[in-house]
Amino acid sequence: MKDMHGRDVTLDGVSITYPNGFTAVHPTDLTVGAGEFFSILGPSGCGKTTILRAVSGFVEPSAGRILIGGEDQSGRAPNARPTALIFQNLALFPLMSVRENVAFGLEARGVPRRARLDRADELLALVALQDQGGKKPTELSGGQRQRVAIARALAVEPAVLLLDEPLSALDLKLRQHMRAELRAIQKQTGVTFIYITHDQGEALTMSDRIAVMNEGRIEQVGTGDEIYSAPATAFAASFVGEVNQFRGRVVALEDGMAYIDTGVGRMFARNPAGLAPGDSAILFVRPENMGFERGDRPEPFGNHLTARLERRDLEGAFINLQMRAAGAEQPVAMHLTNSGEGPAISAETDLRIGFTCTAALILPEGPLARTGREDLAAR
Amino acid sequence: MTSQRLLNLYTGAFLLFMFAPLVLMIVTSFNDVSPPSVTDWQGLTGKWYAFFWADQDQLRADPVLRALDRDRFVGCFGNSLKVAGAVVPLALLLGLAGAVFLTRWRSRANGFLWWVLLSPMLAPGIVLGLSALVFWSRLGVDAGLFTIVMAQLTFVAGFPMLILMARLQRQPVEMEEAALDLGATPFRVFTRITLPYLLPALASAAVISFLASMENYNTTMFAKGGACTFATEIGAMSRNANGHPPVINAVGTVIIVLTVSATLAHTFLLRKDTRG
Repeated sequence: MKDMHGRDVTLDGVSITYPNGFTAVHPTDLTVGAGEFFSILGPSGCGKTTILRAVSGFVEPSAGRILIGGEDQSGRAPNARPTALIFQNLALFPLMSVRENVAFGLEARGVPRRARLDRADELLALVALQDQGGKKPTELSGGQRQRVAIARALAVEPAVLLLDEPLSALDLKLRQHMRAELRAIQKQTGVTFIYITHDQGEALTMSDRIAVMNEGRIEQVGTGDEIYSAPATAFAASFVGEVNQFRGRVVALEDGMAYIDTGVGRMFARNPAGLAPGDSAILFVRPENMGFERGDRPEPFGNHLTARLERRDLEGAFINLQMRAAGAEQPVAMHLTNSGEGPAISAETDLRIGFTCTAALILPEGPLARTGREDLAAR
Repeated sequence: MTSQRLLNLYTGAFLLFMFAPLVLMIVTSFNDVSPPSVTDWQGLTGKWYAFFWADQDQLRADPVLRALDRDRFVGCFGNSLKVAGAVVPLALLLGLAGAVFLTRWRSRANGFLWWVLLSPMLAPGIVLGLSALVFWSRLGVDAGLFTIVMAQLTFVAGFPMLILMARLQRQPVEMEEAALDLGATPFRVFTRITLPYLLPALASAAVISFLASMENYNTTMFAKGGACTFATEIGAMSRNANGHPPVINAVGTVIIVLTVSATLAHTFLLRKDTRG
């Protein structure tokens, strides 16, 4: 598949407002590099699918331009763009055989029958379906149908492959398998992938870079590591990965760090957003960065709180604890590595837990992602 | 248990009410008496059927049959086939256009348009016939087969439109979008993706349009001018001075046999279609 090559995609001030007045995408600038695996991650209704449909040509931006390989795509119909879209429901053609499905794009380009069917067989081999060409799509399993859709899209040698949550209909095991497979196909072909998902696991495992999107705006663009350990906004922090949140107000600054008064007491943490004393803020700390106060840590906890155990779930390598801290709005989650000798904890004792100041982050007050723990807190 | 028995009784009565007249009609088509009767049984005969192929001498010998004009009847039936032959393809074309428009080009006018396109199905047939007659005569067209076609088309086109709309609504739009995205022109998307998917529905729509055209009486009656069709001629025969000839019952029996066969074939096709 050496004949394929990706091209870069640029959104230049693109905004999309529907005729009913709803703005699905606020003015957005974004550049996806050629051959990059780029994910747009966000909850349903955040505008990510609209961006995808705009790149593929089904939706025309209300303002701004979309460039692919430097060429302005304005006014170009979907059938004239160097993109191929993989739909959430795959949209395979049920009346055609698998081979005809894959060859359809070449048929549309007037490639002779023999040549296009040979090419379809090559692509089916790429996705390990060489023996299935004669079947109808309905005779295949979910994962196989998925691969047919990929082969069909690759047949037109797109510079950019757009994927709209294509794994969401598969069961967990197959989904994890297909992640690796998609990543491998992307590496092998060098085509630019723009992958839309609400599943952070998919975005983190497959992508070179991720854009976190909420309510029509891109909140942060970065590698998975950057987004997980240095989220830029309250939404990015709460949407990607599990996180404990404590609302409060910044009281003092010190060398890029800040003190914040929260319901569970005064805490000290990183202040990447440069908040000033008096600002409303939220303190974020990941469950795996919390631990019991034991005094024998290499870096002692700078922050402490008192809590009682509510639930203990053994997950294997991890033990997930749910604690109730005095003054906290929500239960506090802790993930401990299972060392096999975990302390015997009784629900009646007050426990001293804490976290280091470098592991915690203070970000400006802003909309949070729904985690489901709000409902627990309400009970 | 009582409610079950009541329901059975009701269902039985309902079926009896529906089918007894048809059974009587079939029985009388074999009774050698005119006007048709079941109580006055004069012996089994096939002559009401034989009317259509017996030679002229035999017809002249029969006091009832000699009053009927076989050639005219056959001619009128031929007219019906001609009318249906024009109405069915035109109705499919119009219905398809309407269905694609209403399901794929979503515009603000859709709700209004839906009512406009379907209102002829609800309007009294007499009104459709009369208005077609008035409209075309103003344009200098004499009432005849052409005006019958135009009048029937106004309401027959609604059947294919409804059938095709139901089918198109079940077909995911993404399939057409995917084809477009893969580089197909809108025309190719229609011929390669949309149309093959619609074929079974088009076949059902053709059968239903054909039946609607053949059996239509009231609209045709007003639009026909000096022409006749199968349905209007049956109407004319039943108003015969000597009373309704049992030939009509024979024709009715043949129609029932044909309709039931067509319905069975249609059901069979539909079942095959949903399975595929």
